[in-house]
Amino acid sequence: MKRRDMLKLAAMTAALLTTTALLTTGNAYAQDKKWKIGFSQVTTIEPWRAQFNKDILAEAAKHPEVELIITDGEDKTEKQVADVENLIRQEVDALLVSPKESAGLTGVVQQAIDAKIPVFVLDRNVDTKDYTQFVGGDNALIGRAAGEYAVELLGGKGKAAGNVVEIWGGMGTQPAHDRHDGFHEFTDKEPGIKYLLDQQSGDWKQDQAYNLMANALKSNEKIDLVYGHNDPMAYGAYLAAKDVGREKDIKFIGIDGLPNEGVQMVNKGELTATFTYVTPGAEGLRQAIKFLNGEKVEKTITLPTEKITKENAAQVLKDNGL
Amino acid sequence: MTALKLLSRTKLYWGLIAIFLIGVLGSPMSSKGNNIFLSYGNLLDVLRQVSTTGLIATGMTAVIITGGIDLSVGSLMAICSVVCAMLLTVPGVTPGVVLGVPTVALVALCIGFVVTRFIFQNLAKSRAGADLVREIRLDGVRGLVTPAVVGVVLCSLSLWFLLPQIEPKFGVLGVLLVAPCVGLLFGALNGFIIVAGRLQPFIVTLAMMVTALGIARLTAGQNNAVLPVYTGSNATADFEILRSLVFGVIPMPGLFFLGAILIYGAVLRFTPFGRYVYAIGGNEEAARLSGIAAGRVKIATYAISGLLAGIAAVLYVAQYRQGKPDAGAGLELDAIAAVVIGGTSLMGGRGSLIGTFCGVLIFGLLSNILQLHNINSNLQLVLKGMIIIGTVLVQERNAGDLLAYLRLPGGQTAHKETAAAKRPSQETPSLNLGGNKNETT
Repeated sequence: MKRRDMLKLAAMTAALLTTTALLTTGNAYAQDKKWKIGFSQVTTIEPWRAQFNKDILAEAAKHPEVELIITDGEDKTEKQVADVENLIRQEVDALLVSPKESAGLTGVVQQAIDAKIPVFVLDRNVDTKDYTQFVGGDNALIGRAAGEYAVELLGGKGKAAGNVVEIWGGMGTQPAHDRHDGFHEFTDKEPGIKYLLDQQSGDWKQDQAYNLMANALKSNEKIDLVYGHNDPMAYGAYLAAKDVGREKDIKFIGIDGLPNEGVQMVNKGELTATFTYVTPGAEGLRQAIKFLNGEKVEKTITLPTEKITKENAAQVLKDNGL
Repeated sequence: MTALKLLSRTKLYWGLIAIFLIGVLGSPMSSKGNNIFLSYGNLLDVLRQVSTTGLIATGMTAVIITGGIDLSVGSLMAICSVVCAMLLTVPGVTPGVVLGVPTVALVALCIGFVVTRFIFQNLAKSRAGADLVREIRLDGVRGLVTPAVVGVVLCSLSLWFLLPQIEPKFGVLGVLLVAPCVGLLFGALNGFIIVAGRLQPFIVTLAMMVTALGIARLTAGQNNAVLPVYTGSNATADFEILRSLVFGVIPMPGLFFLGAILIYGAVLRFTPFGRYVYAIGGNEEAARLSGIAAGRVKIATYAISGLLAGIAAVLYVAQYRQGKPDAGAGLELDAIAAVVIGGTSLMGGRGSLIGTFCGVLIFGLLSNILQLHNINSNLQLVLKGMIIIGTVLVQERNAGDLLAYLRLPGGQTAHKETAAAKRPSQETPSLNLGGNKNETT
């Protein structure tokens, strides 16, 4: 009995001392940085978010005076709110947040603003107007670019004709609605364009898009163009067409243009084109540093989109070191 | 000698204190030289962050002590959060009202009936006194009519309170009544299926977890991934109270959590119901044979688990300004982890709420410390897993136990000795209700 307890006591004390020692040594570095900037990310295991983190880290590497802390919300509102609360307690000089949801993160962003921390909201906005700046892409703008190009592919303005399959992202999500509305601003003006599927959602996923397309191919002799709300879905549709040997007579357009995903597909000739949905990582950090150095920043920055086709895909891959 | 014994008896608190000390000693310093971990704001953050999991873990503890498990709590919380947000923000008859109001009426009816009957039964028992041999049979008036009347009265009262709130939007008290009732109903349904169907709790609550998630999504509707709640603009301003600091000292969610622990802890510790819960977990057959209505007690534990999930949902909506069908996803596992860290045995029959309280705090403080040190999030998950194993090992086994496997001299006897002590007294048909089962470490 006695020896057992002694052992346990000794073990616990040892563990306590080592952990404390480890943690204190951990605190010792990063004291010589000028700015401490916290960035609360939603998740790290989704391709676009991974690219987002890559971009912000690449930008941070160019600024030796900045210590960047990235937290991972593990795709849960509760965890992300706890992360932001934690960054507030650590008294960061600026806070970058890419909210999982507008409503869920509004309270804690307000808390940061009340604590006099400049807040930069990235990609998705929150329901308060007191933040320092919002940086994000514009899905309607991207949808318009895709629509314009689709009309061009199908014969040009006023003469465009063909059957279009549109594969929606998640039905309840704003980006899907924006990407749909923007696209239709151009295609709805063309009397020759027919839409085959009525609001069919692939929920952003490749496999669901494959099934949708497989059905569409069975029931339609002629499909000229597929517009997927993101690249994986456009690619899923491509695979479905390929499996029945009809991929040559269909054009595929996707959105997102991640170097490792959509751009590769375009480069291989699987997708006709993709439109980049640039991550606000690099720009957001640049703006935060600019603000910390005493310059003025705009309230809103909308990131442009870029069309990626066979012509420039190889170049984009080269620029991203792939 | 005795001091060491005491140390081993209270190891759980030492674990909590150790984590706390690590937090204090290793804490980064703020620019003003204050200890960040110890700052009042940070500790409040932790209490607020753990309160949702804590409420769920409170209900889970009793379920696990009876030898069951409740995997549906996360999904029940999702349903209740959707209903709560809908009632607060959308006027008129919504899916939330359709699901919520009849549920309250039904629950009020049942509670009125059951409680009244229970009171009459106990009065009759006490009158019969010590020479009671047969089961008490109540006459028609006391056994059926009066309880039914009380039930109907309660039901009408609840409807009288809720129906006027449908057309404008619901107030705080309204949702605080509806959401827990919805949770209670689903929880009771869990218990009923487990008891009536004599099925494994694991599979029944797993099925409920999936079903409830579907119901939550159906209630929310196709286009509502999230139902935002903005107090003062689209919901009543009073709802802010549930997020505020009470007297500027303690956050409201934390108060609910502490309250739940204290009340339910007292129930488990000092009432016959609590004794029955432990007895069923120790040996259900023996408990049944000694006259405990095991089925009813089990249904009650699942129902209370659902009720607490409902309360947690209201606090979730207050704290995160939204209700959504994926609120509480994965929460059941966090709760189970906290319960087990707190020394409750998954085999049933052993455990305590004070242990769960420590378990929840250990888990919360741990997350907080890891995050304060900005440790890579993927590494955090690994560390959390390892700490769960480590804590449970310290909880469940003695050093001698572990050494026995290494064939060290002296370990053998210790191993046997503890194995004998750990074995539930299944051979003894007499039921020792007050004694060795309620090992409240």
